[in-house]
Amino acid sequence: MRELVARYLSNSISRRTFLKGLTASGISLTAARSILDSLVPAAHAQNGEAVKIVEGTGALCFAEQLIASGVKYVFGNSASEDAQFYEALVDRPQLKYILTPHEGPGAAMAAGYVKASGEPTIVMQAAVVGLVNAMGQMFNAFKEQTPLVFYSYRTDQTGRAGRDGFEEVANQEGIVAPLTKYSWLARRADMIPETVRRAFKAAWTPPYGPTYASWHSDLNDERVRTEVILREKFDPRMRVRPNPAEVERAAKLLVEARMPLMIVGDEVYGAKAVAKAVKLAEILGMPVTQARQIYASFPEAHPLWVGALPVGRVASLDYPKDPDVIINVGNKLQHNSPTPMIGRGPKFIDMRIDSWSMGNVMSTEVPLVADVGYGLDDLIAAVEQLLNPSVKQKAASRADEVRKFSQRARALRAQVTKNPDWDRAPMIADRVTWEVAQFADPDAIIVHEAGSVNLHGFNFDPERGRELFYYYGAHLGSGVGTAAGVKLARPSKQVICLVGDGSFVFGPTALWNMARLELPVITIVYNNHAYSGPHSRVIEKVPGGRMVQTGHFFHDYLGSPDMNMAWIAKGFGVEGEVVESPAQLKAALARAKKATAAGKPYLIDAQVARMGVAWADKPWFPRK
Amino acid sequence: MKIVTVTISLIVVLFAFSKAAAQQKPKPPGFPDAPGKETLVGKCFQCHGPGMWMDHRQDRKGWEGTLYRMVGRGALWSEDEIKAMADYLGAVYGRKPQ
Repeated sequence: MRELVARYLSNSISRRTFLKGLTASGISLTAARSILDSLVPAAHAQNGEAVKIVEGTGALCFAEQLIASGVKYVFGNSASEDAQFYEALVDRPQLKYILTPHEGPGAAMAAGYVKASGEPTIVMQAAVVGLVNAMGQMFNAFKEQTPLVFYSYRTDQTGRAGRDGFEEVANQEGIVAPLTKYSWLARRADMIPETVRRAFKAAWTPPYGPTYASWHSDLNDERVRTEVILREKFDPRMRVRPNPAEVERAAKLLVEARMPLMIVGDEVYGAKAVAKAVKLAEILGMPVTQARQIYASFPEAHPLWVGALPVGRVASLDYPKDPDVIINVGNKLQHNSPTPMIGRGPKFIDMRIDSWSMGNVMSTEVPLVADVGYGLDDLIAAVEQLLNPSVKQKAASRADEVRKFSQRARALRAQVTKNPDWDRAPMIADRVTWEVAQFADPDAIIVHEAGSVNLHGFNFDPERGRELFYYYGAHLGSGVGTAAGVKLARPSKQVICLVGDGSFVFGPTALWNMARLELPVITIVYNNHAYSGPHSRVIEKVPGGRMVQTGHFFHDYLGSPDMNMAWIAKGFGVEGEVVESPAQLKAALARAKKATAAGKPYLIDAQVARMGVAWADKPWFPRK
Repeated sequence: MKIVTVTISLIVVLFAFSKAAAQQKPKPPGFPDAPGKETLVGKCFQCHGPGMWMDHRQDRKGWEGTLYRMVGRGALWSEDEIKAMADYLGAVYGRKPQ
């Protein structure tokens, strides 16, 4: 009996097994239950310990370390060699397993959950065969700096590895090395929890990113006795304050600037520092912009917001045309052309935790390596020290000038409704966007994976209004999964997924998760039966070429037959409909609202016209 | 009829400006001087090369729709500027004769 109690308290056996053991030794079931009840306080006390000894299979120890790491949801695809892990789940209801029918959308769902909750999770796949399906979203997590932990066992077993067995590949953990912050193979079953801890620690230490843990499949079955450690005792909780001397230099530059400009990025959203960014801008009367990132990190209706960088270069802004000091707060500044996003003229202040990418392209006058929440606190304090009546006057007059521009810009952007094609059917994409912007809740979360669609009219305000979850990594098929994960994390918010037809068909399986888990997401597919982005880009690269002359585009037309996304949704258990006109779209949105209020997801396949260079009414396509 | 009138006016204007234009700095080929051109070059050419325009044939209304779609992508143009550019493009890169 002592052995049974010890094993129960170490979580090595379940309640059921404990009761079974007691009754097998001759104790009545009632008495056994009474003993079990008496052990509950001890078990709870044990659970609060920072370090506990666990005895059981390697997979059980894995599950225990996940719980100790703060994981609530596990996103996985069926894997036969994880049998002992599934067995361990039965008596660990605090660890919820979400079965995802494809590893890619499953990983996107996990990433959406992490982004929207700030909580850790793990993605599990079957060996290398499942891993390679998940690697597209691993790439996204790497580019987007999402702290997502991946695991898959390694086949073959330790005793026969290296013989090119079933599902075996050499250096499995090495395959993911360029896409992860950390990848490792646990060498013994008792080292599984330590390997898992390192994976979580590396993923969740800034700058964030994906990690990968693996071990030979038989280690899951091996019985071991090992340590499980609570997250609080292995997470370095790294939050860095900037160098005070550099803060003073930055403050001086900003205060003395004729026209400073602030670029914001994802680290602002991640650090919940939007209000601080607003405060710094307001003190200085400083215009604010943003280069492509995942989140909106500044309220777009604010009078100091001058709009996003049109082509990813400061020089392309309509206003201000000649900033002399530019401060970047938390933006990765993705370069898509040889020209630096910020020219050599203005003095550049770069505040980020991601020191790895600082100074690579831009000439940086003041580097501020910091958690941007702390960095903004310190910089605001330093700027306030330098404020005098003359500086305040200059800032006020600049703010007035910026306000005039932003008012005019808002009026000009609103002209989008004057398009002569505004009422046509199939619709122009702008009409779909506009209708959704009118429809969305004031604090809706918009998950956006419609690459050729530019959003307008939403007035994102990440701390007090609508939030944006865009994509940055560009491995397609993330939108639907991300939206499902976001809704799981934030059930009280309206979640709307905007996705192009090309992206949608890469990852619709997460619709099934929405249906099964009753995640009432509204998915809107901009369906023009084409890859619009690649269509336009090949014409830019080969203007006047044979493709344009003949109309023979091999790569972009997705019609004939036209895909019906509402039927696809119905196949996954999600109600949906196809709409062609603005009136039909409005009516469909009303039905979507009703469905989601009843806890059901809904999909609208919005037929969008193919607009742009050289599209024929009935496009040519290659036949066999 | 309106399109024909605009086209004829533009041809006259193009001819009048062609000599002076030849003496100035190099210009994107295929873009004759005419009202609306400066606006077009100033507003659009930082993102789009000349080839794209030459490949795209549509009437004035089509061009107007294209320009308003650029407003949806963040372009900050007044209604007058859009009108001038649509007039120009409709005349220079209107539909090819059947």
